Amino acid sequence: MNIHPAAWIAWATCAGIVAFSTTNPFYLALVIAIAWFVYAACHVPGPTARSFRVFLIAGLAAMAIRTALVFFGTVDANNVAFAAMEGMRLATILVVFGTFNAVTDPFGVVRMAPRRFHEPALAAALALSIAPRTIASAQRVREAQTLRGLRTTGLRSLPALAIPILETGMEDAVTLAESMDARGHGHGTRSRYRPQPWNRRSILCTGAALTAAGAFSAAAFTGVGGLHPSTFPLLWPEVSAGLLAAAGLLAVPGLSRSRGAP
Amino acid sequence: MSDPALRFDHVTFTYPEGARPALADVDLQIAEGAFVLAVGPTGAGKSTFLRSTNGLVPQFTGGRFRGRVHVAGRDTTEHPPRALADVVAFVPQDASASFVLDRVEDELAYGMENLGVAPAHMRRRVEEMLDLLDIEPLRTRSVRTLSGGEQQRVAIAAALTAGPRILVLDEPTSQLDPQGAEDVIAALQRLVHDHGATVLVAEHRLDRVAGAVDVALGFDRGSVRMGDPAEVIRRLAIGPPVARLGRLVGWDPVPLTVRDARALAQTLPMRIVADAPAAGETRISVRGLSAEHDGVPALRRIDLRIGGGEIVALMGRNGAGKTTLLRSIVGVHRPSAGDVLVDGRAPQPGVDVGLCPQEPESILFADTVADEVRSTLQARELPDDPDTILIELGIDDLASRHPRDLSAGQRLLVAAAAIAAARAPVLLLDEPTRGIDPDAKERLTRFLRSHAADGGVAVFATHDVELAAAVATRVVMLAGGEVIADGDPATVLGDSRVFAPQMTRVFGPGWLTPEQVAEAMA
Repeated sequence: MNIHPAAWIAWATCAGIVAFSTTNPFYLALVIAIAWFVYAACHVPGPTARSFRVFLIAGLAAMAIRTALVFFGTVDANNVAFAAMEGMRLATILVVFGTFNAVTDPFGVVRMAPRRFHEPALAAALALSIAPRTIASAQRVREAQTLRGLRTTGLRSLPALAIPILETGMEDAVTLAESMDARGHGHGTRSRYRPQPWNRRSILCTGAALTAAGAFSAAAFTGVGGLHPSTFPLLWPEVSAGLLAAAGLLAVPGLSRSRGAP
Repeated sequence: MSDPALRFDHVTFTYPEGARPALADVDLQIAEGAFVLAVGPTGAGKSTFLRSTNGLVPQFTGGRFRGRVHVAGRDTTEHPPRALADVVAFVPQDASASFVLDRVEDELAYGMENLGVAPAHMRRRVEEMLDLLDIEPLRTRSVRTLSGGEQQRVAIAAALTAGPRILVLDEPTSQLDPQGAEDVIAALQRLVHDHGATVLVAEHRLDRVAGAVDVALGFDRGSVRMGDPAEVIRRLAIGPPVARLGRLVGWDPVPLTVRDARALAQTLPMRIVADAPAAGETRISVRGLSAEHDGVPALRRIDLRIGGGEIVALMGRNGAGKTTLLRSIVGVHRPSAGDVLVDGRAPQPGVDVGLCPQEPESILFADTVADEVRSTLQARELPDDPDTILIELGIDDLASRHPRDLSAGQRLLVAAAAIAAARAPVLLLDEPTRGIDPDAKERLTRFLRSHAADGGVAVFATHDVELAAAVATRVVMLAGGEVIADGDPATVLGDSRVFAPQMTRVFGPGWLTPEQVAEAMA
């Protein structure tokens, strides 16, 4: 029983809302841990799986940069803590997106887009699929150029990496565009092959994710639960058991795992 | 009589920046139900021709187009390619870049979804194609995780599901192992014979298809001659090894298949294989090497010693471990057990061992061929002399050209030059001849021979049996990550049903190349 792409969209959106609504490092750490868990349980093997790591690294880098920016201004514990928490929120959102990328087939998402939105959705899916392809191609090119003795770090070595990656990427993009056209893309009325039914698991995941997002939104609205720990003065963040439980609901997709069945 | 499947009326086409027409006054008709082969050297117009059958040329390329192309009665200049998708299906050379969806089954259905085929009918077609191309076990796999041969068959199945009247394929077997290639050709033949499909296929490796097709289109600098396959191939002075033998000994008409050649051949005594020239001192020693690829064992306890002067062909099915072995020898794939020594020590990647990757394009970035070689020389702090290596590979005339403007074969030679310029004594090549023309192949083999004659070692992974027969001094056969045969080509290839070269099939064990046979018959 696979999770419907729409349920994944709901999950990612809700997890994003949860992360966006708080700067409390405990909640954020929990969301990151859950995203990792869901990735580990549900990712589709293949190049898209690798993009999770890239988003994780990007998240950590974003957090580090956000924190480092403080050092251009007044450096004190309050400012550093504030920046680190802000950065962590950004990192969490990126990690959630990385998980979404790794657990869904972007084209599966497109296939369920309403006909009117098919073109923009397809463009978005192609853009998404370019990331993993480019990563794979970059690895190949870097390895081959290293073997030739070329340096692959530093600005001067950029052409040796970027040109083959870009040119190959362009050629692939043209081949793909031609292939889609030659196979009748955008020709007329589409039909759908084995549309994926909504199943219990998808409903469960969507419901759990909506509950989590609802709880955090309500907390943000009422100002309870320690969503934004004080940094002036710097206090130990308070944590609400209810919100921890609500965030925990985001782990539901990873709990009832199943593999292989179409 | 019904409409021909495909009709070209005086078509002349020039690419936007082309100096001369890529197609020059092409005028021909292809009948419904024909199996048609397009042959000719690289750059003669085959791909352009194939891509103009559904309007990709000129609609995607631009350029000057005169004349008319009708496919199943529809004019390709009046319909965009997508409006021809129900009558003509096109499988490009790089099948993996043509996949739109991720799962095999979805990929098969994609074309039908676009045409609005009813779901129940779609389901039935997909099941039929899964069986016809023998890919049922792959149905839920991601297309990106398939081997080259599997990808090719999936691409063909995906093209066929829409039920086109004509199927067009650009070099469908160039990346496949011999058995995979046989399977694809057999599937195409079945489509023509049993299902009345019209199939148009471009191919370099004629040993596979020459005997199966009804008609051939011979391409020569944009002009096309249509005729009997034997006739066309003889005129172009190309062909499978049996045809080359036929030309060498003056058979008329030249045979195209092993079967034709047997009828013409006198019996030759079994060829006594001279002992291979004793290999020089051991240069590569692989000891108990095991390696994994994505957590799956790819090599199991490989032991190999390769000496100076040897040219080793590494053969075996797609996925047998050839690439992993090459990457382990060069030192970029970390073994899980065992080790590789070059000249007695752990090799310094790139210095002791050079590797020409499967996609030569992945290293080309300079503006000229000479600069491409220069960047290697500079990185290795060698004298600035790009010409020597270009002359050795026979491409000194290309020195000032832009690498991306060259044909696939020429690009391979440029990549090989850029890598060999480092003068590593051990040169590895991963499937160097896929998709390249005989002329480029000839230059490459000459270079490999001279590299070995100077005491170097060359190891190349290949599916091209005839190349292995012509140039290798030793063949190592891999299966499931293990060495299953290792010895001189006459023994290893002669002993195999799948890998036997054509001369062995006609004249028996020991005979490898048309030149050997012609000499013996003279």
